[in-house]
Amino acid sequence: MVLDFNTLYTFPGRFERLFEDFFKPQYAEGRRMAYPPLNVSEDETAYYVRSELPGLPLDALDLTLTEKSLVIKGERPTEQGKYYRQERPAGFFQRVVVLNVPVDREAVRATLVDGVLTVVLPKCAQCAPRKISIDVA
Amino acid sequence: MTDTAETKTAATPETAAKPLPRVSPATDILEREDGFYVYMDIPGVRREDLKIDINENELLVTGRALQGASDKETFLEVQFGPGEYVRAVSLSDRVDRENIAANLKDGVLTIHLPRLEKAAPRRIPVNQA
Repeated sequence: MVLDFNTLYTFPGRFERLFEDFFKPQYAEGRRMAYPPLNVSEDETAYYVRSELPGLPLDALDLTLTEKSLVIKGERPTEQGKYYRQERPAGFFQRVVVLNVPVDREAVRATLVDGVLTVVLPKCAQCAPRKISIDVA
Repeated sequence: MTDTAETKTAATPETAAKPLPRVSPATDILEREDGFYVYMDIPGVRREDLKIDINENELLVTGRALQGASDKETFLEVQFGPGEYVRAVSLSDRVDRENIAANLKDGVLTIHLPRLEKAAPRRIPVNQA
């Protein structure tokens, strides 16, 4: 990092910023990491994978559930015209969510509302831990 | 996030109750034959939670994205969250302010800013005193 001490340089402010970035980088870093951003959560009945995918209809998305992973694939289109500013990412993207847990593959559902994709992966009833009683012979 | 943005959030009464992190949405601005187009990625914002205000020379878009998750869920990985999208776009004089149209579809806000029809050239008659 280059420190310059000219008159336009707000030294204390910059210093605080540095500290701020150091102590709470998670939000900004998370946004920069990979596209699209993913949230993974679970409750008692299912796992949820959510992703921000604005501007894509559900049929333009390719969701693949393989033996061990969920693959989200697609392409964001570009608009035609003379660009003055382009910040929205465009092009192909792919994210792989590795599933190390058994899920009920037949009951997986995906919805896309307001550009937020939600994939619900229900936990399978047969895979729930069971007690095995040991009979003494 | 800068200090000014945080103080602003605290000052507004409706956001003071539930402060959300402010996010500047990714925006494309482009020009076509029929005018300017602004595209903003605002995933998770419903139509009712979106506000577009035009001040003198500024178009301000504010929208709140709330998380669809229930309280029972525990998160294993978080890369995005609820937030308030705020973005101002300055308008040029060539924009026809009366006919600005906005459309929200699949989390993308499209604003069409039509060009102002040029006034037809006319001759000014000179009156004799």
